[in-house]
Amino acid sequence: MAKSVQLEVITPEKLFYKGEIELVIVRTLTGDEGFMANHAWACKLLDIGEMWIREKGKEEFRIAALANGYIDVKDSIIIYTDAAEWQEEIDAGRAAEKKAAMEAWLNQNLAGEADPNEIARAKISIAKQATRMNVAAGGARRKR
Amino acid sequence: MAAANMQDIKRRIKSVNSTEHITSAMKLVSASKLRKAKATFERTTEYFHYITESIAEIANSSSDIPERYLLGNREIVNTCYIIVTSCKGLCGGFNSNVIKEAEPLLRNDSQKPIIVAVGSKGKEYFEKRGYEIYSDYLAPPENISFLETREISKPIIDMYNSGEIDEVVLIYTSFVSSMEQAVKVERLLPFEIDNDPEVMKIEKQVDYEPSVEEVFNYLVPKYVEIKVYGAVVESATCEHAARRTAMENATDNAREMLSNLSLFYNRARQAAITNEIIEIVAGSEAQD
Repeated sequence: MAKSVQLEVITPEKLFYKGEIELVIVRTLTGDEGFMANHAWACKLLDIGEMWIREKGKEEFRIAALANGYIDVKDSIIIYTDAAEWQEEIDAGRAAEKKAAMEAWLNQNLAGEADPNEIARAKISIAKQATRMNVAAGGARRKR
Repeated sequence: MAAANMQDIKRRIKSVNSTEHITSAMKLVSASKLRKAKATFERTTEYFHYITESIAEIANSSSDIPERYLLGNREIVNTCYIIVTSCKGLCGGFNSNVIKEAEPLLRNDSQKPIIVAVGSKGKEYFEKRGYEIYSDYLAPPENISFLETREISKPIIDMYNSGEIDEVVLIYTSFVSSMEQAVKVERLLPFEIDNDPEVMKIEKQVDYEPSVEEVFNYLVPKYVEIKVYGAVVESATCEHAARRTAMENATDNAREMLSNLSLFYNRARQAAITNEIIEIVAGSEAQD
C-alpha cells in the first residue's frame, strides 16, 4: 500500500476536502501532474481542470472539478482553488446548456467589436463547463 | 379634559406597543441572520492564513519576486479606498462608525481619492458630499459570492498594475464579538512583508511552476480578492450583530415607555374617577 499524505482543498467559502490520500492528480499550467507522499516541495499554479484523488486504502478515485488556484506541496498538500465541485454535485444538463449558450454568444460576437474581457470570460466559462461535463461523465481520463 | 387626556395616552400606548412588536421581531430576524453570517465568516477566516503564509514564504525565500507589490518601491500618490458599509439602516452606529473613520482619510488625501463603495449607505454619504465614486456594489452582502466580490477587486488590481493607483486601503468593520465591533483600516497593497528572521527559512528547495514571479503574481491579486471577500462577509456579520443590539435597545426602550405610559394612564383614570366621586358627593351634600 502506498504511503498516505494529508490533503486539504480550500475554497474561499469553505474547506472543500480534508483527508488522508495516497494520490492526487491535478491539472497544473504545464500539464496534468500527480502528487504522492514525500513529493518534493512545490508550489504550482493550477489550470481549470479535474482533480482526481485516491483516498487512503481505497481503490476508486474521487473526482472533482476545480477552477484555477494553486497547489502547495510540503509535508502536507494544500490546494487552494476559487471553486470546487464533486462529481455528484454537478448538474451536467445545466453545464451543457450554459456551454451551448456561451458558445453561441461567442460565435456571434467573435467577429464583432465585443469587449475583449467579455470574450476572455466567455472562453473561461466554456472551459469550466467542459470540465464540469467531463467530471460528471466520470472524468476525461475514464476509469478502467 | 381628563377623558381626552386618557384617549391620548391610550393612543400612544397602542402605537408604542406596535413599535415594540416590530423591533422585537426585527431583533429575532437579525439574531438568526447573525448566526448564519457568523458561520460563513468563521469558515472563510479560517483559511486566510494559508495565502498570506504562502506569500510571506515566497518573499522570504526568493530574491527575484516582482517588486511592484512590495512596500517602498514606488511613491504613493493616488490611493484607492474600499469602504464597506451596509445597504440598510436601523443598525445603530454601524455605518456612521465606518464613515467617521473614512472621512478624515479622504479629506487629508492630497490627491483625489478613488472610492470604491460596497453598500449603499457609504456611497450615498460620500456622493452627497461631492466625492466621486469610482465603482460601487449595492446588493445585500449576506449572500454575496466570491465571484461577485471579484468584480469589485479585479478593476482595483488592474488599476494598481497599470499605475493609476499606488495604494489600496480597505475600511470595514471587524467582528470582535456579538456585542462589539470595531472599524478597521487596512492597507492591502502595496504588500508589507516584515523580513522577520523568526519566520522559518525554508531549508528545502521548493519547486515553483511556471516560475516564482508568476506564482507571486497570482497570489497577490488573489490575496486582495480574498481580503475583499472576507471584509464583505465580516462586515455583513457585524451589520447583523449591530442591528440586533440596536433592536434590542429599541425594544427595551419601548417597554420602558409602555410601563411609564400605563402608569400615566392609570393616574389619569384614577383622577377622572376621583373627580366624578367628588362631583357626586358634592351634589348629594348640596341636596341635604
